[in-house]
Amino acid sequence: MISIVLNGRAVTAPATPGQCLRTFLRAQGCNGVKRGCDAGDCGACTVLVDGAAVQSCVMPAFRAEGHAVTTIEGLAEGGELCPLQQQFIDSGAFQCGYCTPGMILTIAGFDAVQAADPARALKSNICRCTGYAPIADALDGIARCDDRVGIGASTPPPAACGVVSGTVRYAMDAPPDGLLHARLRRSPHASARILHIDRAAALAIDGVRLILTHEDVPHFPYSTGRHENFRDDPEDTLIFDPLIRFAGQRVAAVIADTAAIAEAACAALDITYEVLPALLDPTAVQDEGAPQLHAHAPRNVAARVQGQVGPHATIDEVLAGAAHVVDRTYTTQRLHHASLETHAGIAWLERDAAGEDSLVIRSSTQVPFLTRDTLARMLQMPRERIRVFCDRVGGGFGGKQELIVEDIIALATLRLGRPVALEYTREEAFTGASTRHPMQIRVRMGADAQGRLLGLAMDVLAETGAYGNHAPGVLHHGCNESMIVYNCPSKFVDGVSVYANTPPSGAFRGYGLSQTIFAVESAMDELAIASGIDPWRLREINMIRPGDPMISHHDTPHDVTFGSYGLDQCLVLARDALDRAQTPELGDGDWHLGDGMAIALIDTAPPRGHYAHAAVTLREDGGVDLDVGTAEFGNGSVTTHVQLVATTLGIEPTRIRVRHGDTEAVAHDTGAYGSAGIVIAGLACHRAALALKAEMEAFAADHQLGTDPGAIAARAASRGRTLSGSGYSDGSPRSVAFNVQAFRVAVNRDSGEWRIVASIQAADAGVVLNPMQCRGQIEGGVAQAIGGALMEEVRIDGAGRIANPSFRSYHVPRMADLPRTEVLFADTYDTTGPLGAKSMSESPFNPVAPALANAIARAAGVRPRSLPMRADRIWAAIREQSGEMSR
Amino acid sequence: MRSFGYARAGSLAEAIAARAAGATPIAGGTNLIDLMKLDVARPDRLLDLNGLDLRGIEIGPEGARIGALVSNADLAAHQQIAARYPLLASALLAGATGQLRNAATTGGNLMQRTRCYYFNEADTPCNKRSPGAGCVAIGGVTRIHAILGASEHCIAVHPSDMCVALAALDAQVIAEGPAGERAIPASAFHRLPGDTPERDNTLGDDEIITAVTLPAEGFADHYSYLKLRDRLSYAFALVSVAAALRIEDGRIAEARLALGGVAHKPWRDQEAEAALIGREPTRAAFADAAAIVLAPARAQGSGPEGNAFKIDLARRAIIRAFDQAARRTPQSQTHKQVA
Repeated sequence: MISIVLNGRAVTAPATPGQCLRTFLRAQGCNGVKRGCDAGDCGACTVLVDGAAVQSCVMPAFRAEGHAVTTIEGLAEGGELCPLQQQFIDSGAFQCGYCTPGMILTIAGFDAVQAADPARALKSNICRCTGYAPIADALDGIARCDDRVGIGASTPPPAACGVVSGTVRYAMDAPPDGLLHARLRRSPHASARILHIDRAAALAIDGVRLILTHEDVPHFPYSTGRHENFRDDPEDTLIFDPLIRFAGQRVAAVIADTAAIAEAACAALDITYEVLPALLDPTAVQDEGAPQLHAHAPRNVAARVQGQVGPHATIDEVLAGAAHVVDRTYTTQRLHHASLETHAGIAWLERDAAGEDSLVIRSSTQVPFLTRDTLARMLQMPRERIRVFCDRVGGGFGGKQELIVEDIIALATLRLGRPVALEYTREEAFTGASTRHPMQIRVRMGADAQGRLLGLAMDVLAETGAYGNHAPGVLHHGCNESMIVYNCPSKFVDGVSVYANTPPSGAFRGYGLSQTIFAVESAMDELAIASGIDPWRLREINMIRPGDPMISHHDTPHDVTFGSYGLDQCLVLARDALDRAQTPELGDGDWHLGDGMAIALIDTAPPRGHYAHAAVTLREDGGVDLDVGTAEFGNGSVTTHVQLVATTLGIEPTRIRVRHGDTEAVAHDTGAYGSAGIVIAGLACHRAALALKAEMEAFAADHQLGTDPGAIAARAASRGRTLSGSGYSDGSPRSVAFNVQAFRVAVNRDSGEWRIVASIQAADAGVVLNPMQCRGQIEGGVAQAIGGALMEEVRIDGAGRIANPSFRSYHVPRMADLPRTEVLFADTYDTTGPLGAKSMSESPFNPVAPALANAIARAAGVRPRSLPMRADRIWAAIREQSGEMSR
Repeated sequence: MRSFGYARAGSLAEAIAARAAGATPIAGGTNLIDLMKLDVARPDRLLDLNGLDLRGIEIGPEGARIGALVSNADLAAHQQIAARYPLLASALLAGATGQLRNAATTGGNLMQRTRCYYFNEADTPCNKRSPGAGCVAIGGVTRIHAILGASEHCIAVHPSDMCVALAALDAQVIAEGPAGERAIPASAFHRLPGDTPERDNTLGDDEIITAVTLPAEGFADHYSYLKLRDRLSYAFALVSVAAALRIEDGRIAEARLALGGVAHKPWRDQEAEAALIGREPTRAAFADAAAIVLAPARAQGSGPEGNAFKIDLARRAIIRAFDQAARRTPQSQTHKQVA
């Protein structure tokens, strides 16, 4: 037993040996104490001990004995938010909100020195969503929200108070009673066959309830990647597979009374492997005679895309007749999503009046409906007997468009009849989830003397790793919009995505485009240099404009239109802002300045069907209930849904109660991916609100009422009527959104160091429904992309294992690592989106790495063609070019 | 996490007896708890030192004595330490984060273990974790590994910033055991891996660190702690340099140089220091010193994931840090833009 003063209240409670303060505080109901890394690297679990900020995950609980501990739950006094909490709301200083309690408490513990230098003082805390700029604004007391309501107002999210006070629920918060815990045993080998699993020692451990291996679960081939059409991804995965294809693949699950017992039992499983040679080289896997990872994939090809359009038979033919030619290969690395909440879920059973059990799952998923549908097939249960929902999801970025915890907890709960939780550790988030696809991209382009493109060819080698989740989608998407953005008579694409004994790649913000746009936009800059044409001008000469055909490498009909066009405005906005940017004193050293830019086009929604339903019901009290299927993982879609409904119906946003991310809410929703939150789910919400508005107007006319929703609601109630409207969107037709990124950097040619002097992004998001939020999406996207361009890299060693599965060794940018990004909006009205809006969530990421590479190339005098552009690589390239040899 | 015993030490004598009987001391726990979670550290019994009276900082004309339980945050913020030994304060602020420095202690910082990727992964072969198992860092991703003093058994580096400054400042580690108190020079506290990489340092298995002492000379006029890493914040050093000079009549009267991030211990080179005596504080002189330090340097691995670049990085960092020290423009830990 230990005694502490917790949020002003004396608490005596049992602490188990080895318990850290984080789990002790959560056991006392302080759900605002978050788990991000459990290693002292991310700050999500920060609490105050006697007023000083500490990371509770690396503080033994017994060290708090006799001390005063303050958690986020104790910060608001008498139910009133403290000024810092309010400032976080007013500045839009969170998106998913998972880091927010720790961030606020860290700041609350600042001394005067730290308060004067927050960028340094906050190096302890990771925010993956915002890019830190609004957090800095919160510290400076700069508000971004406004008091207006309606379209174009910077309304804070409906969950804002809950986020800053730690009361919103994420997957692992407020668990049901009697909870059991699952842990996974993973393979240390990249390629192996399981010969035998001896479970005797594990079963002998007290508290072990169930062990699941390939001998215990259905043989059900599926893909962890989730799409509307489940056959989009190769069904090459088993729940447990006796054939191991990557280091980190799950081998067994143990369900036990505590996570510690489950972990100990996992370690006690005696597994005999036949270790097989591992194929780690994405080129060599295609060799004739190379071992085949999957029976359905000769030469280890998981997906292929090939096509060409135009008058030329080959790209060589184009290049032969071109005045200016570029032929270069660019390489992009593996990236980790680093959403601060890891994959997690809890399953339990609920018995209905008829005595029948339903399976209920709350998980950190971007796709509750698609998860439910696959579980129904896997478990051979009717869909109606499975409910999947998420409350708030702590970041996703594509990483949670996967089914990787729900199957285990579902199986275990059905076998045991008790609630079961599975929460990934941070290391598992690296080794047992997906990454961005590494790609090698060769770009060949030829232009005439005036800089007009004659031909553009892209050869892509993508590595899907051990499994094919998202392999076809990422490859196709990557080879699509990156090619469409330029008018060019002849286009060629030859892309392949290959299996290897490496961790599976998956969906990642940009969905293939961040890699290919890095290549194409770098090559365009090389063409600008080769032809002596200004890079902005070169874009203007070649970029697609309204009326131009949208052609990538085929001319099959599609449903993408110019709902609005703002690329021209974005170019002018970004260029003018860069011209205005102040250049600071650079100090001593061989510093050189360089400007760089890049453009990006993205379809506003995924192809071939993405569906959303919404329902709006007038309550008796004159407020409105909004049911919408899509999940909220920090992207802010729910905020805009409320704005759309509030504006349409003319009621206060606070009168709207939202239920989202729940298979019980509506008939179907494809999910929160492909930037669909506004343009598809939002459209469904808007249509539902219009339907209710028509209902209300008709009812009011029948009953001689005015327009006051309260009066209409009261009368409807007294007549026993419920007024409601429903809306639906099938995600077609689609439009295009644009982003232009510009940087000015300084590079020290003596050391390879870089400094970002100016960062600007101009975006065409159509009508900006919520400027605070849209700006936040762009600032956050740019920040995440700067990390991916300059410092982040999942490193695979010679044995196929991830060498840096922690935030200590995988470098996510902190506040001090990032510049301010100036965000500018084009003024357009999209004809396909709700009230003129377009999507703006993945796309800000896409032009960042090439714009940075283009700036660095000009400042350094050497061009980085491989990511990340670490200082030592730039330095080595400078040395190589100048002929110096390193010792 | 495995189960283990836990006891609070009521007195130093009790702590020494418990340590001699095999208990593992814990103070801030910021490293040990992490390693226990990773199943890298597997103590049978934890010995909580936090009840001991080792939190004092005494400063006098003859030097300073810092209690082993003084937190890194309190030490860095101590006004007299910052004034007399700014190299130490600067190194402390270059390391970890505010939250960690609030919890981490002086003694614990000395005892922190390597951040070698492979050491921190319980199921890979590692001679430091299980002697004789082999080393997969050799031939692996070696970006953060040693260029000096490595052995065929271990190429890990010591991660501390504080210890680099202590080595440069000729600090002493005060340890107490059954035989009484002894002082270990900071530069001899950590050791090279040789064929016993499981031992990080020379502290006896029955000894407890009680304090760190500093001599009177703090090099407050001419010092710099330059830490180079992959990004501006929260990363361990690729190379760090603690440089200090005493300059009389335009010539170097005394020089101190210790490197971090490059060896199994903070790398002090007194031959290089001696070579600077009597010379003018010029980049040429510093380059000569750097050449002496780095003459035995050897790269691990090749290509972008190897660490060949660190040799030249260290050479330049030494020159730059000494130059900063000489010009009285020590590297700021606040504005990390490197001049």
